[in-house]
Amino acid sequence: MKAVILAANRSTRLSPFIETRCKPMIRIAGQYILDNTIRFLKAAGIHDIVLVVNHQQELVRDVFGSGQELGVNIEYVVQDELLGIGHALSICQSSLEKKPFLLVYGDVLTDNNPFLSILQTYTELDKEVAMVALPDSSKEFGNVYLDHEMKISRLVEKPSDDQANYVFAGMFVLFPKIFELLEKNNNDISRCYEQMIETSGLQACLWEKGWIDMIHPWHILVANRMLMSSWETAEIDNSAELRGHVHLEGAVWIGPNVTVESGTVLKGPCYIGADSYIGNNSLIRNYSAIGPNSIVGYGSELKNCVLFGRNDVGRLSFVGDSVLGENASTGPGLTTVNHTIDFSPVICQTGQGTVETGLVKLGAFVGDSVIIGARHVLGPGAILNSGSTFPDSVTL
Amino acid sequence: MCGISGIVHSENFGRNLLNSIRNLEYRGYDSCGVAVIQNGKIDLRKNIGGIDDVNLKERLDQMQGKIGIAHTRWATHGSVTQENAHPHLSANRKFAVVHNGIISNYQQLRERLLSEGVCFESLTDTEVFVNLLEKSFAESNDLEQAFLTALQQIEGSFSIVMLSSHDPEHLYCVKKESPLLLGLGEGCNYVGSDINAFLEYTRKAVVLDEGEYVILGPNDYQIRSLKTGKKVNKSVLQIDWDLETSKKGGYSHYMLKEIFDEPQTVRQAMQIPKEQISAIAEMFDGSSRSYLMGVGTTYYVACISQYYISTIADRYYSALSSDEFSVVDIHKGDMVLAISQSGETYDTKTALVNAKDCGAQTAAIVNVMGSTISMMVDHVIMQGSGPEICVVSTKAALAQTFIMVRVALELGLIRGRITKKVYQKYQRDLEEFPEIVEKILNEQSGFVRNIARDTSHVEHWLFLGCGVYYPVAMESALKMKEVTYQHAEGMPAGFLKHGTLSMVESAVHSLFFVPPPEQKELHERTLIAMEQVKSRGGTVIALIFQGDDRAQGLASQSVKIPPVSTLFAPLIQMIIAQMFAYYAALDLGRNIDKPRNLAKSVTVG
Repeated sequence: MKAVILAANRSTRLSPFIETRCKPMIRIAGQYILDNTIRFLKAAGIHDIVLVVNHQQELVRDVFGSGQELGVNIEYVVQDELLGIGHALSICQSSLEKKPFLLVYGDVLTDNNPFLSILQTYTELDKEVAMVALPDSSKEFGNVYLDHEMKISRLVEKPSDDQANYVFAGMFVLFPKIFELLEKNNNDISRCYEQMIETSGLQACLWEKGWIDMIHPWHILVANRMLMSSWETAEIDNSAELRGHVHLEGAVWIGPNVTVESGTVLKGPCYIGADSYIGNNSLIRNYSAIGPNSIVGYGSELKNCVLFGRNDVGRLSFVGDSVLGENASTGPGLTTVNHTIDFSPVICQTGQGTVETGLVKLGAFVGDSVIIGARHVLGPGAILNSGSTFPDSVTL
Repeated sequence: MCGISGIVHSENFGRNLLNSIRNLEYRGYDSCGVAVIQNGKIDLRKNIGGIDDVNLKERLDQMQGKIGIAHTRWATHGSVTQENAHPHLSANRKFAVVHNGIISNYQQLRERLLSEGVCFESLTDTEVFVNLLEKSFAESNDLEQAFLTALQQIEGSFSIVMLSSHDPEHLYCVKKESPLLLGLGEGCNYVGSDINAFLEYTRKAVVLDEGEYVILGPNDYQIRSLKTGKKVNKSVLQIDWDLETSKKGGYSHYMLKEIFDEPQTVRQAMQIPKEQISAIAEMFDGSSRSYLMGVGTTYYVACISQYYISTIADRYYSALSSDEFSVVDIHKGDMVLAISQSGETYDTKTALVNAKDCGAQTAAIVNVMGSTISMMVDHVIMQGSGPEICVVSTKAALAQTFIMVRVALELGLIRGRITKKVYQKYQRDLEEFPEIVEKILNEQSGFVRNIARDTSHVEHWLFLGCGVYYPVAMESALKMKEVTYQHAEGMPAGFLKHGTLSMVESAVHSLFFVPPPEQKELHERTLIAMEQVKSRGGTVIALIFQGDDRAQGLASQSVKIPPVSTLFAPLIQMIIAQMFAYYAALDLGRNIDKPRNLAKSVTVG
């Protein structure tokens, strides 16, 4: 069976991290979402992958190439115009040899292999299958109704405030007849699913383990936490150097050629990517993922945060519940304020307006290549656009 | 639901055939049987009981041969007897058939065959078919033709596998509306109601579609369309998962599967004939003293019934836990109603025996047909909920409660406590209930899951309700304890201030079962208790009905249920509490279907 992964879309809601990469190229707990997807596919016996790309496709091609390194074959299909999921799928028809195939939305992340389950249901019933999951909030998704045989009996595209049920989890086993349906319905994929439910039926497969669809920037933190929660043991590369007294607790992952200076405390689960440097007396608390080639200056505290890589965190800083894009750097003494004064849920001012995050602890989102000078304080939910510069905050 | 299987050529033949139905046992387990061809003759062994019981009696695993069929039954119509168990033989014992489904026109066919001089051993529709086969074969002397001719005469839904001593190399199978699959091995082939029948032996399967029939040999199979007679080419599926997962049909746990079965279960309970329900109501009405009895979940079902009967029929009957039933001094003319899923519960059986000895009339609501309790009482209602596999009872408990609401309504009518008009209004409400359950399951799961996950770390719970919501709270607390292993205590909301309030603090969470605001008095009493908990710094979670702003204001989190008839508002909360316990246990990584230290049917004292 082949798998189609949709990785073309550019979702502005993930700003400031989406301008320079497509969603599957977001790095969480040290690895790209796409990396995770492909590894799970391979473990489920799927080696032929059709990857639909457009936005920032060069990065995907640079990192994944032909797939050889991961032991899979990747065929790239370019969706020239971003005309939705149905359209993205329709242009893959010639690559799919008129056989059932697996459709995977590239922006979903799971903590266990979901493809084993969906293929199991498909093999058992020889029917088209949709994976369904219960998200934290069903508002962002269309709801599905399930009958007692786990067939989907209804789709509710826009659920009201008092409805919350299982939603499509972005994984499907579909038959080639979907292409006829797409043609009939002007590439409207929701309409196709509805017609399938009304005619041949669409079987649900429940996913009850960790699942997240990346919509807003804070979902990066939620996903990071989800992946790291499954870590049970510490993994420290032989080439890593822990100088003097370094205190380690729990599932600490340290990549090759990392240097950690004396006096630092690492509380797992946490991740330090290859070739990074952690200065003396730092405190790296749980759910911190420091991307490769990063520097954390003396006496800094990191907590529940994702650093994409090539970051520089100046000495005596606090980075909590925050995301730093690739190559973002901060001067000494940065403080991210990670809650409101009355501990009310943080409200974020995004490019698309005000969004209630529902999260009590939330810091800042710093885009790629942002340069922050010395001694800045970032408020809860602050968003700093990629490439922006903030000069030193000096008193004299 | 029944399970059927067949094997053509296999090593360890008897054992494999037995295992094939053992793996289908979750489809039904009140009787089973096997037919094989040995020395050119059909050897048939069948009996009532679970598969291992029947094997002990009949030594099914010792059966010798190369080709055979097997069946495990879950009776929905017709009693559980050795005669009614499958396989069924034709009068000349040259044909044997196993069948899953219903032949709807079997009465007419049976009468016709009787008039033609055919003798029947059982009352089943299946025996009609097997004799039709014998007749057709006598006319055509062609087995395939005879199979097709007999099939043309029957109507209904069925999957059938036929074995005949006229062709000891092939099984004849057909699928119409009931499932049937082929399993392809090396030099031996299999057929079964689902893949579990042969998953131990082969991973290659062919799924039959509607209106297809197969002639299955050891090395070959031919699938044809019943309608056109044309050969159908089917793809062979490679199955690569384990047996345990496949039985749950896409659900990760039986518990959730069984919760999602509930609309169907309640529909079944609605179909129980009115006469059967009124028979129990009349027994209550005619007795001097009546008791409701169950143990564990069924005791709480009895407690809930107590409230329904009291409010609708103005009669108070004591609900007792079966293990404490000896406290009652039973006399002739008393009536005891027992509730048991398995019909084998030791404590309930013992109490019933005593009650009978003292001259009481007895009745029962039971899920497993042919079970001891169902056979020993004067009147039994089979709830027809289908096998319940998860140790924690969900759909069976709901169906029992639903049936007891029906009993309360009948009793109310008999005793003149409700008018015909009110009775009819309630009947209409009951008919709408399955759809409402479906809607609740499909629109509230997300909210319930989120609250369950946020609070799964809570080690101490108080489950509180007033009136009928109090036994619902107790049953829900039991569910919570069983499946999450966390401490949950159900009690009347008004009881709280008489002692338990002293343990309330922020770490102790209270789940309130808040009645709809139109049940003013109960609603008010519940809200007073909520205020008591809240003002002492306790955390309040509430199951409320939409629009109940006062209750919502008192709760830190709440599930807002769409408005429903007050008749079954408590039942809806019971379902939501089942989901709540499920999602909490899921988050805690508990062994949901088989919680530690528990067994499905407690048959020992």
